[in-house]
Amino acid sequence: MTNWTTMNWTLAIPEIVLSCFAMAILVFGALWKRESFRMCSMMAVGALLVTAMLVVSNSSGIGYRGLFTNDSFSGFIKLLVLVSSALGIIVSLDYAEHENLRRFEFPVLIMLCTVGMMIMASASNLMTLYLGLELQSLAIYVLAAFARDQLRSSEAGLKYFVLGALASGLLLYGISLIYGFSGSMAFDRLATALSDPTKASPGLIVGIVFVIAGLAFKISAVPFHMWTPDVYEGAPTPVTSFMGTAPKVAAMALLVRAMATPFGHLLPQWQQLIVLVSIASMLLGSLAAIGQTNIKRLMAYSSIGHMGYTLIGLAAGTAVGIRGVLIYLVTYVFMNAGTFACIIAMRRRGRMLEKVSDLSGLAKTDPGLAAALMIFMFSMAGIPPFTGFWGKYFIFTAAVQSGLWTLAVIGVLTSVIGAYYYLRIIKVMYFDEAHEAFDPRPGSLTFVGGVSAIFTTVFFLFPAPLVGAAEAAARVLFG
Amino acid sequence: MLVVGLGHYLTVSAILLVLGVFGIFLNRKNVIVILMSVELILLAVNLNLVAFSAALNDLAGQVFAMFVLTVAAAEAAIGLAILVTYFRNRGSIQVEDVNLMKG
Amino acid sequence: MLYSVAIFAPLAGSVIAGLLGRAIGERAAQAVTILCMLLAAACGVTAFVQLVYGDAEPGVVSLGTWIEAGSFHVDWALRYDTLAAVMVAMVTSVATLIHIYSVGYMGHEPRNTTWRFFSYLSLFTFAMLMLVTADNLVQLFFGWEGVGLASYLLIGYWYDRPSACAAAIKAFVVNRIGDLGFALGIALIYVTFGSVEFPVIFGSVGQHVNDTYHLLGAEYRSLEVIGILLFIGAMGKSAQIGLHVWLPDAMEGPTPVSALIHAATMVTAGVFMMARMSPIVEQAPDALAFVTFIGATTAFFAATVGCVQNDIKRVIAYSTCSQLGYMFVAAGVGAYQASVFHLLTHAFFKALLFLGAGSVIHAMSDEQDMRRMGGLWKMIPLTYAMFWIGSLSLGGVFPFAGYFSKDAIIEAAWASHTLIGHYGFWCTIIAAFLTAFYSWRLIIMTFHGKPRADHRTMEHVHESPAAMTVPLILLAVGAVFAGWWFRDQLVGEDWREFWGDSIVVAANNHVLTDMEHVPGWVSALPSVVGLAGIALAYLFYMFMPALPVRLAATFGGVYRFLLNKWYFDELYNFLFVRPAFALARGLWHVGDSRIIDGIPNGVAAMTADGSAQIVKIQTGSIATYAFAMLIGLVLLVGIFLLFR
Repeated sequence: MTNWTTMNWTLAIPEIVLSCFAMAILVFGALWKRESFRMCSMMAVGALLVTAMLVVSNSSGIGYRGLFTNDSFSGFIKLLVLVSSALGIIVSLDYAEHENLRRFEFPVLIMLCTVGMMIMASASNLMTLYLGLELQSLAIYVLAAFARDQLRSSEAGLKYFVLGALASGLLLYGISLIYGFSGSMAFDRLATALSDPTKASPGLIVGIVFVIAGLAFKISAVPFHMWTPDVYEGAPTPVTSFMGTAPKVAAMALLVRAMATPFGHLLPQWQQLIVLVSIASMLLGSLAAIGQTNIKRLMAYSSIGHMGYTLIGLAAGTAVGIRGVLIYLVTYVFMNAGTFACIIAMRRRGRMLEKVSDLSGLAKTDPGLAAALMIFMFSMAGIPPFTGFWGKYFIFTAAVQSGLWTLAVIGVLTSVIGAYYYLRIIKVMYFDEAHEAFDPRPGSLTFVGGVSAIFTTVFFLFPAPLVGAAEAAARVLFG
Repeated sequence: MLVVGLGHYLTVSAILLVLGVFGIFLNRKNVIVILMSVELILLAVNLNLVAFSAALNDLAGQVFAMFVLTVAAAEAAIGLAILVTYFRNRGSIQVEDVNLMKG
Repeated sequence: MLYSVAIFAPLAGSVIAGLLGRAIGERAAQAVTILCMLLAAACGVTAFVQLVYGDAEPGVVSLGTWIEAGSFHVDWALRYDTLAAVMVAMVTSVATLIHIYSVGYMGHEPRNTTWRFFSYLSLFTFAMLMLVTADNLVQLFFGWEGVGLASYLLIGYWYDRPSACAAAIKAFVVNRIGDLGFALGIALIYVTFGSVEFPVIFGSVGQHVNDTYHLLGAEYRSLEVIGILLFIGAMGKSAQIGLHVWLPDAMEGPTPVSALIHAATMVTAGVFMMARMSPIVEQAPDALAFVTFIGATTAFFAATVGCVQNDIKRVIAYSTCSQLGYMFVAAGVGAYQASVFHLLTHAFFKALLFLGAGSVIHAMSDEQDMRRMGGLWKMIPLTYAMFWIGSLSLGGVFPFAGYFSKDAIIEAAWASHTLIGHYGFWCTIIAAFLTAFYSWRLIIMTFHGKPRADHRTMEHVHESPAAMTVPLILLAVGAVFAGWWFRDQLVGEDWREFWGDSIVVAANNHVLTDMEHVPGWVSALPSVVGLAGIALAYLFYMFMPALPVRLAATFGGVYRFLLNKWYFDELYNFLFVRPAFALARGLWHVGDSRIIDGIPNGVAAMTADGSAQIVKIQTGSIATYAFAMLIGLVLLVGIFLLFR
């Protein structure tokens, strides 16, 4: 291990390279006279892939005098984030053509957001945590309002901005309290300072709750979830797709690292909170989705529920639990990206459709799309052998091993309720009267949907590499 | 003679925070007021950080305050930009008009 | 490498045909699957030759880790030893011939959907290959269920015929019963040995010989229980008496399916499993006695039923049942080599007979009832000749393949010198007589005498296209020479060298040596009764056709007993199906409509109500949202401070 007082800036090479790419593409897009959206998007995807390779080849260690950590946990999260960002850009290609959003700032913003998320994954100081989080959030505020001539998009942006600013204000206030009452912002020093939980002062505890609240907002856990349905519905669909995957992963990783490293000794205390938040999220996610008719809104509630399940793994507070969280996140990213690719393909005579009822009879008009969406819905409902089942399986096993029986039971019950609305979509597609067929779908969506569907379906044949990687990553946090 | 200590700074900043938070959800008028409330919260945080930094004799707090100021500027810029596009579409920045999507 | 190609080429063919079949058209789908199968067969046979005659070493081709959960470890791996290689070579080559044959046979299909059929066939082949190359019980089970699935899909291929759907469901359900035993057996092996990997299990059999297992207060040796449970699985898959009821009904599927799945490969999976698990079952003499008993009884029972059936495919189906019984007799007396030998020759001559029957059915415009055939031999001479070869082999006439393998089994049964072995010996002798009888009954009823079909059908009778006859001829070559070629290596003096470590026999098991020294009359008896059976068939159906009718009238009870297949279906109907229906009806009326529907409907109403309430909070107003966040924050802080 390197001495933590050295700079070691090479550890951040992937982040640096990605930012440089983002700047370069920004300049290129501004100077290029002709239509540059598609080209910039392609370059952005290429840049993300290059960055992913750099992440893989990068060494682990501590850099920037303790502000920045590279370990197998951050590597795992960064790769997942990069993949979901790339998928986000790919699904936007065709959408932007149709909705008149062909602006090269779109991929640039996603890249900057990705830089923020990568910094979040590597943060080992409250300062880095905040800066990464803000970089990510600022980019997403803009993305949510990206369709600037649509009222719903700007309203979504506005809502997300106001509530997000409030959340980061609370987070910051919490950070300032933690700093004041423990004397440091570095994760390792905080861990040493808090090694005796009985000495934790009320001010510090209030600070920790504020930080949890701020991060819970980003993963849209109840009761900080209120923005989710509105913003999901209003934002342009590719943005919703992106928002639903990468930032959730990064924020969850940040929450996990913050809870495990600096506050690891306070496990019995924060466990209660995480359990409560998790139960509330699972219940709300499954109940509120039932009456939804807009499929994007439905996906918003669904993601709230999924984050509730993921929190179970954190509440378990063991390496097995964190392993479950990581596996769940991977499965979640692919299910979500695939579902949104299907939603973006819902277009009739050039107009986007968002109602569940628009899917009726899809099995007759477009069997491929219907089959893909069916796979994702089955997976989300947690039906074997799809990935969603295995994610839940690892999470619930961890909960049971940690003695959190109530949580596991509630988790199973809510997934039964949740199955209702997922299966309803399948019923609509396969048993209802067929409407007019959708417009032909572009190759980019087929690609994303196909890759996700294949992963979701055949994961169970070769789970070992992923489980092994998640295991190694989880060991970093809980030895 | 009143000595201004850490406790006073923290009290002031707590009051600022509460003002900011209340400003966000009690305000029925104007979205601009919300932006101001957000600034108020960040101000409270900065006050906290600087006060703690002085009390702990540790520079990290003041460095962080600088970062927060920078981010606050960026945030305000983005907030206003979004507000402008919203106004262009809606023709109003009344808080109660921001409820097209619900349920 | 070659070996992996042999196993995964069919999968590739299946996936391409299945996913793209609609797009690329059925001709292309057929071509793709057949090319993949040819490749697989070439690689499979090469791998076999290299192992047995060349200098390739047995080993394991590892493909990666599958499941890793604590001490439970399962790999994807292909086992490469003589037993697996023999099976791979046999499965790939027979499956290839049947793929080619299907092009001709399915040529008259009106719908343009035969890509589905070819995809299923290739999928089946892949699953079967996974089964025979498995290096652990879980992968074996994967292949086991995979062939079950493919069999279900193929039996029900004509899904618009209710009888085909019913047969498919019946096959599936009956197999589940056997699979339950198999799954329990795997579980018990894991409990006993702490692993499901073959090398680990077989390496530590010696340490667990005296382990016991408690059940219902009694104590059994674990290995005996494992042996019985595994054999129950084998009974389901290999259609042994009791669980045989699905096999005759499975003839609803297209004939190539019957040939591939229900004669040559899948039904022999049980026999293969007994050979594969020989290190364990070898230590379980009681289980082996049970195997012999069931096998011998099946051989006899199925042969008697075969004598009175009128559907050409059902006769062959019962014959398959009976021959599988032979194989289990061999396994039960410890002559696994003989059982695999018979498995091999049987694959050739039974596939030949089934495909021949397919050729007849094809010629007769889909007529399957032998009572409406007759007089065909001049019109389809090639098929007729093939039938003769297949029947001579099945009947065990020198020097056809069946002669060697069947004699080996019968001699092994005698040479075991146990009571149950002798039961097996006499049952198989009687079955040999009956086998010859029903085989020639089939030939005479189908090909000789006056044509009994209507005029229009007879006008259409034609020899099948080359795509069908060429596979027939190739299979006939196997049916003639396979026994003569393999006898010395598989069960003769070279068997130790040939099998290597792939089949383990206990130190006190000398069956294979002893069977070389049986009395002369024992070796001669099968041929004698076989010829007698042929003679009797000629007497009954060629020269005195009135005799069987009179016999049937005189012994009406016996005849009806046989015609109704010993009333197995009726018995099961009475014992299981009707009570199950009654129970289900009761549960439906009381349990389902009142309790199960009542409670969920109430809960569902509550849930929907709750949903509506929750959604009301979502007012769309920023102030409400911020307020909710703040309330949540205060609550969390309160809880945290309280429970600190």
